[in-house]
Amino acid sequence: MRLPQFNYTGPDTLEKALDLLAAHGQDAKILAGGTDLLVRMKKGLLAPKMLISLKALKDLSYIQQDKDAIRIGARTSLADIIASGPVQKEAAALSTACEKIGAATIQHFRGTLGGNILQDNRCFHYNQSAFHRSGRQACHKDGGKICYARDESDRCNSTCQSDGAVALMALDARLVLASKGHERTVAIADFYTTDGILPFAMEPTELLKEIIIPIQGAASAYQRLAYRSAIDYPIVCAGVLLKADTGKKDTIGEARIVVGAMARSPLFLAKESAELKGKSFTDTQAFQKAGNGAMNSASTFAVHNVGATLEYRCAMVAEMVVRALNEAAGSGKN
Amino acid sequence: MTQYNIIGTRMPRVDSRAKVMGKAKFTADLKLPHMLVGKIKRSPYAHARIISIDASKALALPGVRSVVTGKDTEGVKWGVFAYTRDQQFLQTDKARYIGDEVAAVAAVDEDTAQKALDLIDVTYEELPAVYDPMAAMASETELIHAEYPNNINIHVNIDTGNVDENFAKAHYIREDTFTAPEESYFQAEPYAVVARFDSDDCLEVWCPNGGPHMKSKPLSNSFKIPLHKVKIRRIAIGGAFGGRSEICPADYICALLAKKTGCPVKIEFTREENTIGTRQGHSMITTHKTGVDKEGRVLARETTCYMDGGAYSSTGPIATSVPFLSMEQAYRMGSVRYNGFRVYTNKPIRGMIRTHGRGFACGLDTQLDMIAEHLGIDPVEMRLRNSRQPGEYTSTRSLVGSCAMDETIRKAAEKAGWTEKWGKLPPFHGIGIGTNSVQTGFPMGIRGGSQSFIKFNEDGEATVMSGVVDNGQGNENMLVQIAAEELGLLPEDIHLVNADTETTSSDPGSYSQVSTFVGGQAVKNAAANCKAKLFDVASKILKVPADTLAAKNRMIFVQDDPEKCVPLKKVVRVALTNFISVNAEGGYWPKVDMKREWVSNPYGQMCEAFSFGTTIIEVKVDPETGQVTVLNCVACQDVGKALNPLVLEGQFEGSVAMGGQGGMLTEYHEWRDGRCLNPTMLDYKLPLACDMPPIHNIIVESIEPKGPYGAKEAAMSIAMSAAQAYAAAVSNAIGVYMDSFPVTPDKILAAIKKKK
Repeated sequence: MRLPQFNYTGPDTLEKALDLLAAHGQDAKILAGGTDLLVRMKKGLLAPKMLISLKALKDLSYIQQDKDAIRIGARTSLADIIASGPVQKEAAALSTACEKIGAATIQHFRGTLGGNILQDNRCFHYNQSAFHRSGRQACHKDGGKICYARDESDRCNSTCQSDGAVALMALDARLVLASKGHERTVAIADFYTTDGILPFAMEPTELLKEIIIPIQGAASAYQRLAYRSAIDYPIVCAGVLLKADTGKKDTIGEARIVVGAMARSPLFLAKESAELKGKSFTDTQAFQKAGNGAMNSASTFAVHNVGATLEYRCAMVAEMVVRALNEAAGSGKN
Repeated sequence: MTQYNIIGTRMPRVDSRAKVMGKAKFTADLKLPHMLVGKIKRSPYAHARIISIDASKALALPGVRSVVTGKDTEGVKWGVFAYTRDQQFLQTDKARYIGDEVAAVAAVDEDTAQKALDLIDVTYEELPAVYDPMAAMASETELIHAEYPNNINIHVNIDTGNVDENFAKAHYIREDTFTAPEESYFQAEPYAVVARFDSDDCLEVWCPNGGPHMKSKPLSNSFKIPLHKVKIRRIAIGGAFGGRSEICPADYICALLAKKTGCPVKIEFTREENTIGTRQGHSMITTHKTGVDKEGRVLARETTCYMDGGAYSSTGPIATSVPFLSMEQAYRMGSVRYNGFRVYTNKPIRGMIRTHGRGFACGLDTQLDMIAEHLGIDPVEMRLRNSRQPGEYTSTRSLVGSCAMDETIRKAAEKAGWTEKWGKLPPFHGIGIGTNSVQTGFPMGIRGGSQSFIKFNEDGEATVMSGVVDNGQGNENMLVQIAAEELGLLPEDIHLVNADTETTSSDPGSYSQVSTFVGGQAVKNAAANCKAKLFDVASKILKVPADTLAAKNRMIFVQDDPEKCVPLKKVVRVALTNFISVNAEGGYWPKVDMKREWVSNPYGQMCEAFSFGTTIIEVKVDPETGQVTVLNCVACQDVGKALNPLVLEGQFEGSVAMGGQGGMLTEYHEWRDGRCLNPTMLDYKLPLACDMPPIHNIIVESIEPKGPYGAKEAAMSIAMSAAQAYAAAVSNAIGVYMDSFPVTPDKILAAIKKKK
């Protein structure tokens, strides 16, 4: 399959990149690895007039640790994140999630964390060739008014299958979005619209510059299921964070449970997370209850559009959450 | 045992270096002067009447050289058999599946060709479609092919007689139904074809194929030109697995565009086209009813199978038979009745595939395990009690010559630690066995035999001509090894000219697992004839009788006095100087029952040899997620004789990946209204290298008297038995016999829950 025609530019400073975005905005797309973008372009799902490659923008590849946060440049390769001691120590969930993305070669040569967070939502009725999508009505995400994944649905039910975003939401990360002459920081939990067509609350002129992970002295874990051990998107996944109570070390002071690959965005489960507060780190019953709650909440969003059966994926939400909680609780970080 | 110099050695394949270094040229790499890009317009509807096709806008686009539709094909139809010619290369009246060919263009570049496709205006009238064989048989809507009532395309009936009588004598009878969906090949190389007509109006074609002579005949028929004017050329091929044996509509369309434009044309399939627009393996619903005596010996069996054949016949009669034949060869069945129905649906066309009928075979083996459990018999013992023995006839009356089925079962069981593990593994650990048998050849009529020609060059090297094609399994290396062995040369002295219909004689192709047995044997016979001529000349030089001579390492020498020798090169030169030919031909025609026919007469000698294989798999199942971890695999096959154990082990391992790890755990298609939702490598879950378990290969050599050096089919019995072993191991681990394949985590989990 052929790529549609486009102009290509590779700015070597952030300033130049932001100038280009300011000028071309809607017509441009950021190329940060290409494993998601180029495949969609080949399928004719989008045809940006300009690609702004971050290949030469070395300034956005870094992992810095200061007193209360780890800062990761959005262009940092997945391999660098996996190899990072600070990430392994303070953000185990992210380290594990990055190990699951693509395959070793993709992690080394192509995949970036920013690219993983900003990969478009997926649906096996949408991520198809122009031929496949012909001879039937267009779906919501394809400019039409129908959803093949959920009958009668008035909106797009595409699924966010980013591993990185789930881990980062569990870690309560913040995203730094830059545009010409402006910069804003947003909690990743607030970064998502509820629209499967345009899932990110981000302006076309904005660039994801940095990911900030607060250092909380907490344990985190990430669990996912897929069909094979590499080159596979998750069909269900969970990221969790457990922080000990400042007073009582064996008690959970704060919990964050996030479920992924089940909805238009990663789902932060506020109620199930809050219910773990005050529970013991060894309270497996509480973990199971949280898992079941997560399953019930997530199931209402999920549709059959990324493989496996819907029933199986829903059932596995509980299992992934429980496993992640057990892993975090047992990680000795508490 | 005979000592060989090159046969039986672990010689790296002659084609490996070029392939791993990226130097091998595949069809898509070909670039010819003035070559155009061809593209095919396919139906986006599963079942639709074609009202009109307007190509005027496409033809007006600058850069477009030709647009062809069904009107340009003169109505030619394709089918493997005279009675199955149901597929036009470009449809004129209606489209029968999403992907059916309706028009094609040739243009100066790909972008223009694509634009032109979009400009072809096809008006359809949608018709009700059916996607399931049972629904298709019951359907009261318009038939997919008017001449096939109930959409039943093929019915194969095999009946040995006495079935009901023997059921009446049985100690225990059970009947179970098993299902498996269609599967895809995912050859590494997507389909591509280049065609051109030369100045003498000869058609030259390059494409991945399972046999060049099987492509040239239908093209000769379709274009009404003599066979010598159709030149299928040799080209590196990235896999076939049965899916590239027949002519592909793209071959005809590409040639038609080349004819219309007077330029070479190349059509390259996308991965999606390769998945939906070539062939797939059949989905099957199979019911096995089996009656056994007290010792578990099968007295009677009745098997009924409904296969989803998709939109056209393809190799229908063969595909409807092979799953049954593989099992009747592997196991004695007592009396048996088989009814196989191949049913048309509005889905992609199903054809031959390496793992014919995973659901069929796995069902038969699963049921044997069920019966064994009921009778308190160990599954290994159950197989030994029913396994095929040498000298027996199969249910359809094929004499089985060499057969080391029992040895494969025993050796695999020993290596896998069966006795220590069966019934003694911890919860959710399981071990399972599968056994299978595959034909070395089918009755193929006029194209059943192969001929080879060998000529010597004055430097003492030899050029070997053979119609055998290599589509990945190592056939070219096999021919080189055989020729070098027989002629007393080194592999680097053999120059192969193969798989080219202009320069090579008729050959069955790498079809029905017959390349080594027939094509290899033809080369062996040609080389033996050459050698006899060389020895005649050498006997005069050495002044000894010809029958005292031997050849090895480029020397011809007296067997009992190796010091007395002459270089082979010198013998060739002496022969040329004295106007003596040392070139020779040789051929091989398998002795099969030519009256045997798939539908009208499915009895008689099928082929001259059968392979037998056993695979044992050990797994661990995660009871909370249903995920399977394969701990160990033992693959053991009676291959007659391993001509090259290195190549053979690679074939075994590929078979485990295709039949077992992928075929039984992760690979299946998702559909919506006849639309395939996972046609790409990302979404169709082929296993990766890192998914594969440790594999222990055991080669058993029964030395087939009719095969070259004793060789017969190699590795297909592993592909088939691996599927069965995977299914059995998972069933053993969870304590539930699985009846729906592949055994994906959702099904495993549901089975565990249901058991609780």
